[in-house]
Amino acid sequence: MTVAAGIGYALLALGPSLSLFVSVISRKPFLILTLLSSTLVWLVSLIVLSGLWRPFLPLKANVVWPYALLVLSSVCFQEALRFLFWKLYMRLEDVLDSFADRISRPRLFLTDKLQIALAGGLGHGVAHAVFFCLSLLTPAFGPATFYVDRFSKVPFFLISAIIALAFVTIHTFSMVIAFEGYAKGNKVDQVIVPVIHLSAGMLTLVNFASEGCVIGVPLLYLVASLTLLHCGKMVWQRLIESRNQSGPTLR
Amino acid sequence: MESSSILDSLGVEIIGVMAPVSICMFLVVLLTYSLSVTSDPQIRTAANLIYVENPSDSATVKLEGSLENAIVFVVLVAAVTFVLVLLFYYNFTNFLKHYMRFSAFFVLGTMGGAIFLSIIQHFSIPVDSITCFVLLFNFTVLGTLSVFSEGMPIVVRQCYMVVMGIVVAAWFTKLPEWTTWFILVALALYDLVAVLAPGGPLKLLVELASTRDEELPAMVYEARPTVSSHRGRNGGGGSSLRVLVGGGVSDSGSVELQAVGNHDATHNLDYNAVAVMDIDSVDGGGRSPLAGNPREGHSASPVSSEHSRELASIGNRESVAEEEMSPLVELMGWGDNREEEPRGLEESDNFDRGIKLGLGDFIFYSVLVGRAAMYDLMTVYACYLAIISGLGCTLILLSVYNKALPALPISIMLGVVFYFLTRLLMEPFVVGMTTNLMMF
Repeated sequence: MTVAAGIGYALLALGPSLSLFVSVISRKPFLILTLLSSTLVWLVSLIVLSGLWRPFLPLKANVVWPYALLVLSSVCFQEALRFLFWKLYMRLEDVLDSFADRISRPRLFLTDKLQIALAGGLGHGVAHAVFFCLSLLTPAFGPATFYVDRFSKVPFFLISAIIALAFVTIHTFSMVIAFEGYAKGNKVDQVIVPVIHLSAGMLTLVNFASEGCVIGVPLLYLVASLTLLHCGKMVWQRLIESRNQSGPTLR
Repeated sequence: MESSSILDSLGVEIIGVMAPVSICMFLVVLLTYSLSVTSDPQIRTAANLIYVENPSDSATVKLEGSLENAIVFVVLVAAVTFVLVLLFYYNFTNFLKHYMRFSAFFVLGTMGGAIFLSIIQHFSIPVDSITCFVLLFNFTVLGTLSVFSEGMPIVVRQCYMVVMGIVVAAWFTKLPEWTTWFILVALALYDLVAVLAPGGPLKLLVELASTRDEELPAMVYEARPTVSSHRGRNGGGGSSLRVLVGGGVSDSGSVELQAVGNHDATHNLDYNAVAVMDIDSVDGGGRSPLAGNPREGHSASPVSSEHSRELASIGNRESVAEEEMSPLVELMGWGDNREEEPRGLEESDNFDRGIKLGLGDFIFYSVLVGRAAMYDLMTVYACYLAIISGLGCTLILLSVYNKALPALPISIMLGVVFYFLTRLLMEPFVVGMTTNLMMF
């Protein structure tokens, strides 16, 4: 609609991640590098997926099941990639720990590991927001706006920014949950992350129905807040646990 | 109570290089979007000597024409580089420095001026011509002064390097599309050959500079780390990256960082932190309180576990101790523009002086991203990520191999591959999904 509206939509999708970036991640250069590499991983996964699905595009706009299949395959692929990302991170952790030993500095703290996981998740989230929302925002800087048939109450840019915000939250915090789950071997955490991702993806299929966004988007935000709560609870428990562990040894 | 974690300072030098590259690319994209620079096929330049691209030509004609353009351009760049090597060999260093100042003046004045004028026109900024001229003149002169002089704060020099990169890259995006892509790929290949092959001009230049212990008269962006708070500890800087990657020597623990001269902190940030190992071999007069740019005495020579002392040109003295680790690599990127202004080299050394990246690398990364910006924002982001990851890979290779490496090839190749993959594969996929409001 105008430059102001365009910037507004962009900030709607990326505002919280920007503040997270400025306050947490920009302090430590290593976290910026982690963010960039996880964004790259997400981009590569997206390219591979689009390569696989290219012969079948464009899908017919009225039939649901090809889209369901698309979302399912994409989510499965990305979750597999998340596991690989975690394996890579474990190797990196070993390298960092041996480096720390070599220069006689303390090894990685729990907060460090959590911050790396957060940076990784934020990288995924930012990549999602940029590719699914921001890249389509260029017309929003011009004089007009655009409505989709399926949801005629709200401009397309606004609804895609809102959905992108929910997904950014989900991606960011499910990475933290996933890393902790894989590290501790906690089955609940390991399973809950793909489940969240899949359900979020499937919920967007609800948008397929006419005016379906009215139900789909609030449910999506429910999933996002559940992710936030679970992550917060888990991190709090871990921090208390580690403080209790190191408590008796404090001089 | 809690000692600082290694995560606090790891990777500072990489970010010190990536940040200005990102800023340059971002501003070029902004310029491209706001000024809506379309490739004007009527410009005849060194890049267009043989074939002027016409959008209505057939694909094969465009292909051949662009290929010829690219080859001619690379040949020109190679010829100029050889001339540069000759001049440097015969010790015409002062001439080179003056020529580079002149080209900085010219670039900022005319090309920068043209961009300012089009910005003023586009946004209807109310400013009269005399004010504009005076401002432009001041801006240009400051830029020229900052190129090789010693007294300038490093921030000013860094800013002007970025500005020059932006100006030249914005001009380069005026080239037609196919020609741009072919030139980028051709230059990446040329860079690879010129730096690594035995007869390559850049390799000769680096060897000449190192055997003479002189610094190359070239335009480089130096990402000097500020004097960190890790006094007496082996804080960030190049050595930590090398220790991390190469499983380095244990000497790193014995290095103590000290600013040159026991001077006030306000001025010291401009000067290099000097690693001092043997205090007793310090020169009798100690370190002078006013250090001329210690960079003047910088040595690019490999190895030596002994002391070396260098005399700066204004008679200040500093002792420089070299560790057993050989100085880090130099990465070279070369390029050229209409003014035939040489790019510089990228090098990092073990004195925590940070990494240097040649100006031409800035320019060609930004050209790639600017050209991607003319298609879509998605391609911009994909190319940005590709270039940054290529740069990261190059920096890691830098710390592993310890010799001059070209900064262009990996990034440009990744950038081109990602651009075409995104444009052909990802775009229909993502747009098809989001217009149906489905995401994952």
